[in-house]
Amino acid sequence: MRHWLLRRTLQAALTLAVAVVLLFLLTHLLPGDPLAREGAGRPLTSVQREALQARYGLDRPLLEQLGTFVGGLARGDLGVSIEYGRPVVGLLAERLPATALLGGTVLVLNFTVGLWLGVRQAVRKGSAEDRWLTTLSLAGYATPSFWLGLVLAGIVGVRWHLLPPAGMRDPLIAGGTLAAAADVLRHLVLPALTLSLVSIAGTMRYQRNAMLETLRLPYIVTARAKGLSERQVIWRHGWRNALFPVLTLFGLWLPILVSGSVFVETVFAWPGLGSLAAAAVNGRDYPLLMGASVLVATIVIVASLLSDVAYAFLDPRVRLS
Amino acid sequence: MTRWTLGVSLGASLVATLATVHPHGVAAQSSIVIATGGEATVPVPTLMEGPHASIANTDVADQLFLRLAELGPTLITAGDRAFVPRLARSWTRRDSVTLAFDLDPRATWHDGVPVTAKDVVFTFTRARDPAIAPQLAGLLRRISAVRAEGDRRVVFQYTQPYAEQLYDAVFHTAPLPSHLLAGIPPLALAGAPFVQAPVGSGPYRWVRRVSGQYVELAANERFFLGVPAIRRVLFRLAADPDARLNMVLGGEADAMDNIPSPRSNVARVAARSDLRVVPVPTSTVGFLLFNQRDPRDRDRPHPILSERDVRRAIGLALDRRRMVRATLGNAAQVPYGPTSPILWIRHGAPPPLGANVHEARRLLAARGWKDHDGDGVLDRVGRPLALTLSTTNSSAIRQQLALQIQEQLRQVGIRVQFERFDFPVYNERRTAGRFDIDFASTAQDPSPTGLGQGWSCEGSTNVARYCDPVVDSLLEVAGQATDAAPEAWRAVLRRIEAGAPAVFMYGLNYLFVVHRRFTNVRIRPESSWLALREWTVAEPAPRGTAGY
Repeated sequence: MRHWLLRRTLQAALTLAVAVVLLFLLTHLLPGDPLAREGAGRPLTSVQREALQARYGLDRPLLEQLGTFVGGLARGDLGVSIEYGRPVVGLLAERLPATALLGGTVLVLNFTVGLWLGVRQAVRKGSAEDRWLTTLSLAGYATPSFWLGLVLAGIVGVRWHLLPPAGMRDPLIAGGTLAAAADVLRHLVLPALTLSLVSIAGTMRYQRNAMLETLRLPYIVTARAKGLSERQVIWRHGWRNALFPVLTLFGLWLPILVSGSVFVETVFAWPGLGSLAAAAVNGRDYPLLMGASVLVATIVIVASLLSDVAYAFLDPRVRLS
Repeated sequence: MTRWTLGVSLGASLVATLATVHPHGVAAQSSIVIATGGEATVPVPTLMEGPHASIANTDVADQLFLRLAELGPTLITAGDRAFVPRLARSWTRRDSVTLAFDLDPRATWHDGVPVTAKDVVFTFTRARDPAIAPQLAGLLRRISAVRAEGDRRVVFQYTQPYAEQLYDAVFHTAPLPSHLLAGIPPLALAGAPFVQAPVGSGPYRWVRRVSGQYVELAANERFFLGVPAIRRVLFRLAADPDARLNMVLGGEADAMDNIPSPRSNVARVAARSDLRVVPVPTSTVGFLLFNQRDPRDRDRPHPILSERDVRRAIGLALDRRRMVRATLGNAAQVPYGPTSPILWIRHGAPPPLGANVHEARRLLAARGWKDHDGDGVLDRVGRPLALTLSTTNSSAIRQQLALQIQEQLRQVGIRVQFERFDFPVYNERRTAGRFDIDFASTAQDPSPTGLGQGWSCEGSTNVARYCDPVVDSLLEVAGQATDAAPEAWRAVLRRIEAGAPAVFMYGLNYLFVVHRRFTNVRIRPESSWLALREWTVAEPAPRGTAGY
């Protein structure tokens, strides 16, 4: 097991190294000028542009820039953002909590409500409840999250005035920590709902199928024959084994929630990594774009590694193969 | 289903509780939340260029840093009379190249230290250094020296007599506190702690920035021109225009700078009794720029657009008024020449030419463009009259207008292929001259001298390589005039119109939204929130109370 784990970790590290080099080269191949800003008054002259390029090190050969970046990365330094004039590490650290809150909420909802509903559907296969949950999950799965976000913000936030349509917190809120926490919670509802409705639908369908497969296995019949209660059969014997395939889903969802919520963060002005990365792309802020990309790549690779390790830990057949 | 009912009830109760728990303090009554599209990252004069040349930075810097003087309501940049004293109490002209400013002795920095002539000299020394502020140094190139005479008097020396000496001294930058910055190497300033908590001399002082969310400013209690009635200003970030509008309509913000398309959004705002729509002229002018050079070989003239009659025909084939009215309603006018609504030289200019499809067809036919093969597209010696029209996909206005332009030109036999690009890509292609017709939009300074950049032969942003030596000489005459010389500037406009290097489509007004509890609302065309310190708060009710 230890040897397997070491090999798998080295593979992950190598994958990350290749990803960093590819990301750097692709980012710098993007057409566009990192010094130009839309809506800026007088555009830069060529002489002015050259002066600023020298200041930000953009005039150096690409390989030299790559060497500088990799050297910095080894020291935990992702460089200084062109747009913000501040270290990229600090900027990412500032935005990570908002993304973690939104993504974490969605993950929790996804892997509680989604799994529960999926199991419920499987147990009640063919019932009216199964049919309308299937219809709802299909509809949810087919709904683009940015569209859903726009609709929820427009109806719940603007028309009904039930919840804030944008932002993470009201800067004018008075009161102590509790009031502030309640305010963040209010702002969280719509973006979390938008992402959850779509992701829960997928999890439900996945869990339903896995559970149906498991419930057909002979040991379930044995468990029932032994006189165990239906609750014990389903949750202790059935669900535990039907959970393995869903672990893969967790490994896939984690990076998507970090990087893939760009549209939802934009629609709801949620101050997370997604909106920061979107701004970096629009401004061709290479250091910030690279920092966000490396962070997401790391999360993808680590999530994949954790998923494999969890699989191997829970199912000996995986590590033996 | 009992458990379902219980679950739904609990969920609804939670939402209802969250919907009602949003206590605003008393301070909220005298605060304003402005929804803004960008984050103020470096709101410090002398640093706001290149990647930091953003409206968000300017908006915040204008509250923190006071200029020596400000443009008056006429926005006339020439001469010494149309300006309002600020840090400088007064100014006197010693001769045609020397201007002396007397600083207001009451002025202090936010940390209580008096503002002195030394601060002004320090700032302009940095601002005029191309290694520190290359763009600013270019704008201030006609200031030859700035020196202090005692603590309160600062003297500007110019290289030559010209009408905008005062404008150059006061508009482009505001003084910085030398006592806090002198020890910081100029090129290290952008990364210095000062930038994260700037200290200025303006009506508002820095409180904090919450990354990705808002920048908070508080009224400067020592502001010598009067403490602002609005005690707190919060610039709240929402990059997406629709999210900004939702913030305002949802009671999460009090104001925003431009109601986004479609026009039905204006009606949504106007229908609200607690909000008002404020039209404000902007520095933006949109135009179809004709490339004079072949995009595939810049050493050769453009095979179609280098002919003036073809360019003129395109202009005459377009019913600009109708298109602009249909797309922008009353929020824009068709300009005469490259003049935004805030450019003072547009007053007294002749009205722009209307559409004349018959004349357009005649001009094209006279140049040999006829539909020889009957495919509906004019051609000459086997070459069809086909052009690309490029713009950025970030501009809904230009995209809507481009489709109408495409259709109107089709009717006279010109085939237009419409291309949309992500802004950085669009900008790169534009700068490299890779376009036939570029649907551009420019934010102009209030000064007409900026026209030289785009429309003179050696203009630094003349990406179309338009060159008319007569325009150059007219620009030189107007720029060197020692008075306002509106007729000299209008001669420039007439010559540009006659040469048809572009079709000037619209000069834009923005429709701002402001909560009705604010009174004495004045929004400055050259810098939106500059006059915020003069606004007052009429009603005690805080924002958002009508909503959730």
